[in-house]
This record gives sequence, C-alpha cells and structure tokens, in this order.
Amino acid sequence: MSRKMILRVPKFQEPKRMEKSEAQRLWLLLKDAIVEVQHMNASTLSFEELYRSSYSLVIAKRGDILYTGLEEVNNHHTKNLLDKIAQAVDERFLIELNSQWQQYKLQQIMIHDILMYLDRMYVKEPQLKVFDLGMFKWKQNVLIHSQINDRLVRMLLGLIHMERNGEVIDGALMKSLIQMYVDVSLKEKETYKQEFEERFLLATSHFYKSESNLFITNNSCGAYLKKVEIRLIEEEARIKQYLDESTGPKLIKACEDELIANHMQTMIEMETGCRTMIQNDRFNELKLMYRLFQRVENGLVHLKNEFAGYVRNEGHKIVNQPENLKDPNALITSLIEIRNRFEKTLSQSFANNRDFINSVNTAFESFLNENDKLSESLALFIDKKLRGGFKDSNDQEIDVIMNKVILLFRFLSDKDVFKKFYEHYLAKRLLSGRSFSEDLERTMISKFKQECGNQFTSKMEGMFTDMRLSKDALDGFKNYLQTSVEMGKLPKIDMSVRVLTQGFWPTFPPHSCTLPPLLSQYCDLFTKYYCHAHTGRRIIWQTNIGTAEVTFRLPKKTHVLALSTYQMLIMLLFNDAEKLSLKQMAAGTSISFMDIQRSVKPLYSGKYKVLKRTPAVEKSKELSENDIFELNLNLKCKLHRIKFAATSQTDSEPERQHTRQRVDEDRKIEIDAAIVRIMKSRKALIHNDLIVECTKQLSSRFVPQTSMIKKRIENLIEREYLERFPDDRRRYRYLA
Amino acid sequence: DFKKLRTSQNQFSDFEIIITKDPQNKQIQKIINCHKAILSCRCDYFQALFQSKMKEYQENKVYFNDISSNIMENIIDYLYTGNIPINSENAIELLISSKKFLLDDQLIQTLNQFIY
Repeated sequence: MSRKMILRVPKFQEPKRMEKSEAQRLWLLLKDAIVEVQHMNASTLSFEELYRSSYSLVIAKRGDILYTGLEEVNNHHTKNLLDKIAQAVDERFLIELNSQWQQYKLQQIMIHDILMYLDRMYVKEPQLKVFDLGMFKWKQNVLIHSQINDRLVRMLLGLIHMERNGEVIDGALMKSLIQMYVDVSLKEKETYKQEFEERFLLATSHFYKSESNLFITNNSCGAYLKKVEIRLIEEEARIKQYLDESTGPKLIKACEDELIANHMQTMIEMETGCRTMIQNDRFNELKLMYRLFQRVENGLVHLKNEFAGYVRNEGHKIVNQPENLKDPNALITSLIEIRNRFEKTLSQSFANNRDFINSVNTAFESFLNENDKLSESLALFIDKKLRGGFKDSNDQEIDVIMNKVILLFRFLSDKDVFKKFYEHYLAKRLLSGRSFSEDLERTMISKFKQECGNQFTSKMEGMFTDMRLSKDALDGFKNYLQTSVEMGKLPKIDMSVRVLTQGFWPTFPPHSCTLPPLLSQYCDLFTKYYCHAHTGRRIIWQTNIGTAEVTFRLPKKTHVLALSTYQMLIMLLFNDAEKLSLKQMAAGTSISFMDIQRSVKPLYSGKYKVLKRTPAVEKSKELSENDIFELNLNLKCKLHRIKFAATSQTDSEPERQHTRQRVDEDRKIEIDAAIVRIMKSRKALIHNDLIVECTKQLSSRFVPQTSMIKKRIENLIEREYLERFPDDRRRYRYLA
Repeated sequence: DFKKLRTSQNQFSDFEIIITKDPQNKQIQKIINCHKAILSCRCDYFQALFQSKMKEYQENKVYFNDISSNIMENIIDYLYTGNIPINSENAIELLISSKKFLLDDQLIQTLNQFIY
C-alpha cells in the first residue's frame, strides 16, 4: 500500500502557491458575479464555476482577498441603496425600503451559497459569517443611518398608532420591516431591542396612559373593563401579526401596567366600580375584573380585600340590626342568605379562588363572633326548624339548610356555648314531644358529629337513647301495673314517665312542688318498679318540665286542657275553691311564686281564657301576690282540646344566665384538662408557651380568655397538680 | 431502497451530473443521473446549488471538470447509501472532493485516518 501511495501522492500535492495575478483573476470573476447578483441577474451564472473559484481561492490561502473584497462590494452596494431609498417620499418610503430589503436579503442568501466554502473554511471569529456580514453592512449603511432609522421608526409607530385608533394598515409590510430589525441583529436581537422595541414600548405606554385616563373618567367601570379586555386581545393579535414574539410579554406587561395596575384603586373606588358591582351582584363584570386584576401583581389582593371588607361590613350590619337581635330566626335566615349570595359571587366571579374563599371565611368568623348571642340564635334557629319549620321542605332543601347551619357553626369560636344551648333546646323538644322528626334530629346531630367528633355529640345521642329506654321502661311499668295488687285500689290515670340519665341532659333547676296524692302514689309505684328492675339507680322527679291533660267541665261543654304540670296543679286547686289569690296558689302547690306567675299567665291572657282575674284589670299589668283569679265559666271555644304553652318559647333571662354559667363551669373543667394534658406530656413549660398551647388545643371548641387560663393554673397549683420552679417563677413543673 | 434508486439510473431522475475533462466542458466523460431531493438533503453543496437558482438550476445539470468520474460516482453512492469504498487508489482524491463538497466530518475523519 505504501508504495502505491507514494507513487500517487505527488500528483495531488497541495497546489503550488497561486500566482497573485491568478488570484486577482478569480476575485474579479467573483466580484462581477456578485454585482450581477446584486442586480438580480443571477440566472445565467454558473454556480459550480463560482463556487470552484471561491474554493480555489480559499485553498490557495487567498481567502483574505475574497473576504475583504466582499466587504467592500457590500459596502458600496448598500451605500447606493441608501440614496435610492432615502429619496422615496411618504408612503413610498416604506414600500421602497421593504422591496429593497427583501431583494437584498435574497441576494445575501445567494452570495452566501456561492461563498459557502469561504464561509465554512476561512471565516473565523471574530470575523462575521458571510451572511451576517451582509446584514451588518445593511444595518450600518442603511438601517441605522440617520436618514433612515428615525424616519422609519416614527412611521412604524405612526402606523401602529393609527391601527390602535381603528384604521387598517398593511400588516405584512409592518411584519417585514419590523422583522428586518431582528434580522440585522447579530446576537440576541440587540438591534431590534435598541432601535425599535424600546421606543415602541414607550409609545405604547404613552398611548394607553392617555387613553385609559380619558376613558375611565368618561365611562363606567364596567365599560372600561370591557375596553381593557378588548385592548389586550388586540395587542396579543398585534404580537402575532407583526411583532417579534420576544416583545410579547413586555408589551402585555406595559399594557397591563397602564390599563390595569395604574387604575386599580380607581376601579375599586369609583362610583361604578368594584364596590357597586359587589353590592349589585354584577357577576359578569366582577368576573372580568377578576380576570384582568389577576394579570397584574397584587391585583387580586386589592380585589380580595375589597370583597372581604364588603362581606365583613354586610355581616356586621346584619349581626347588629336591632330587629335581628330580637329575632334569631330572622338573623340566621339573613346570614344564610348573605352566605349564599357571597358563595354565588365567589363561584361566578372569582373562580372559587382559595384566597378569596379564605378571606370571606375570615370575615364571617369575625362578624359572627362580634356578638355573643349568635351561638344561641343559631341553636334557636335549628330549634324552630326542627319543631316543624321543615314541614314544607323536601329532603334536599332540608339538607341544604342544615349544611348552611353547619357552615355558620364552623365559624363560631364559642362552640361550647352553642352546644349547651343546642342540648338545652334538644332536651326541651324531646321532652315536650315537639320534635318534628326524629330522623331529622339524628341527621342534624350526625352532621355535628362529622364536624366536631364524637365527644361533641355524645350527650345528644345519649338523650335519644334515654328516650328509647324510657319507652321500654314505661311499657314495662304498664304491664307491672296490670298485674300489681295495689292497682285495684287506685283509680286509673294514664301516666307517662321519662327516665333521663343525669349528665346527658341539661340540668334543670330543681323545683319542688306538692303533687296531688293520686299522682304521688303513682310516682312511688314507678320508683318502686324501676328501682326493682335496675338496682342501684336513684330517681329524682323533675316535675317542672312535665305536661298533663285535664278535663275541664263547663256547664254546657267539656274541654280537655293540655297543660304543664304546674298549670295542672293550679287548676286542680280550683276543684276545691272558687276564687284563689296567687299567694294561695303558691301555698297550695308549693311552687315558687315566679313559676306561678309564669304558669298562670297563659291561662288568663291567652286566646282562650280559662281563668278570670277579678276584679278585671288591664292585661298588661304585672301580677302581684294578691291578685285573685276564678274559673271562667263562660269560656267560648269551638275546639275540644285546648293547648296552652307551658311557658313562653324563648327562655327567660335567668335561664339564659344559667346556661351561660354552666358553660363557664364546663370551660373551667376543659381548661383544667387541657393544662394537665399539656403539662403531662411536656413536664415543664414556660407560662406563655403554656397559654399559647392551651389556647390552640381548645380553639376548636371555644376561645379561652387568658385571664381564665391564669386562674386555672393558679387553681391547679393550689391543688398540687403543678408547681412553679423555685428559681424561675415563670416556669411550671408537672407533679405526677 | 436508495441503492436501487441510485443504480436504476433513469428512474425519476431529475438532474444530471456531467463529468468533463477540459475547462470548457466540451469533452464529456460521463453523465450521472440523480435526484435533486436526495442530493440536496445529504450535501450542503448541492443544497446551495439548487437554492441559488443559477444556471445549473435552470438547466438541471452541472458540469465538473476537476474530478474524475470514479470519484464522483463514489461520492454520489455515498450520498445515496452512506457507504463508500475507500482504498489506497482513491483515498486522497476522495478526501479532497469531500472537502470541496463539504461532506460530513465523520467521512473526512475516516479518510484522514486511512491516509495517515
């Protein structure tokens, strides 16, 4: 192999150093061809010949002649073009510039093709590639020439301005001319950015600043928002149509700044602005506003704060409206209503944005706890619903209302207060048999259970169990009576008893009273029966929450009166007397005077008066001990059965106080438990940490007051659960 | 396949490569029929040649007088199939022509390794 190689190599040795004249000849050949190309007469030239010439020059190390020559030719040509273009007037200028540019670009591609070997093998950094050299010359001699550049940019911006004002311009021409700035940029579009983009963005800001100022003062906020949206769509289209895509984000940012960011405050505050929209449920406008504000930094924060502020304000109004304070039903109903309304706004306008929802919830939390009556109102509201308010609703509607109740409940910070009230009313419903449906009661409770866990509802569930067990016990008692020997001696009365587990039920203030002998005998019988069946249990009779039916014989007619136990006792007194003063009634029944007052009131002042006050006085007058009553024998009533409200529906103030007190008692225990739990696991803790931890643990049920926690800590120290560190009084230690 | 396309000379060919011996391109030595699509996508030289729309593009033929027909055929084969027979007879000429036609670096490297 090596021998053959040696034989052939001399023939292909590197060509002899080319004569200068030969190099010159090849260059002139190429130069002529380039000039021909520049005059668009390329079709008769031989590509191979030209390529071979440039190839020969390069391999003969004469690339420099070619490169510098090319530079000169381009220089010369572009200078000629400049004159030609600069002479064009008005619109002709852009057209001429564009057509020359398009041709020039094609020529440069051709030149690049011919000189490809030079481009690949000779050109080294920092020399420009053949095509780039052409671009550079165009930039240097044409584009950024003082006769062209400023004029061109001004005209381009002028056209864009016209287009923004609604006129139609030649998009293709724009694209080509603007692209020219990009094409002549050597790296990172620097010419485009420096010469065009910067001024374009400035003009854009300027345009939209004045337009937006003018438009927003003369139009409504809604109209302005629509205008902004249209403008933004137009600008997006503009980017696609004739701008370089790198300008996109900058252009949109500039527009957003001028159109949205700078006017946010105005849009929120102006007469037709955000506030009014929220007030009038202008969902679509708000939606648009949300969409637009979303685009700018902190835009949504403004909108959110405004909305949350409005929500808080509305809620505050409702919670503090005097009528609402009196009527829990109206209060809760209107709270549910605004909740629905704001939920609608959230979903329809604010895309259910998490932040928005949270801030609305915070607002609810703040105004719902403004007023400590809310827990009670909510319990009363449910009470009313469960007493029959749901009668006309179908399951679905009921479920919706219940869920809303739970929702409001969730915002309460004093859940324990609510719980006490709820238990209280639940007990009343169950005992007076006024509950509309046990199923609904259970559904409601299961919802609380889901929300707060077992502990929250265990007592309520206990009440239901008691009710069921009572029924069994009562059935058993009736059987027992029939077989009992003592039965024969007693007249039959229909007695029903409910056995309530202490602890599950709210404690009712104990009141004593003297039952008529017959009743006491029955009571004794029941006690005997029950204690026999369940050894070890003790029965305490709660007579004050019972009911009774009494037959009331009038000369012409007989009525059945449904009364409370106390009322029954009072009425029974009239079996032996015609006239009784309140004092006598109290003496005869050993009921407290206050309860007498309360029981008698419906009997003489209700719709059907079974008692007469003698001498007759004005109804409104307060009762006194010495007021005398007698039976109203002229009672006129079509109904056979007459029902009397035992006591007024809503609780009296003392009872409410009582509930509050019990809540406070319970809280003490809860706080104690929490402190001990925490200390048991931490062993030692600084005072402040303990308070914080304790508040955190209890927050699902109520917000404990710091002073109360302090008192409990003191108390626990006294009871020797905790002690202070001798050297650091602020630290506590758990004593096992 | 492409080899078949290459050898079945006239099949849809749309371009002629004409090898001559003299600078005036009078003494035709060989005519190679081939396909513009293949040449232009495999070789920058041919791509530029077609793109420039000069005489060769108008006439659909190109004259070469600085290359032997064997070498040209070798190169055209390579453009079609990616295979090229390298031997001591043709290696240097192939290298020179590959450089002129701006063929891929891998081929040029292989040729260089063969020679040195």
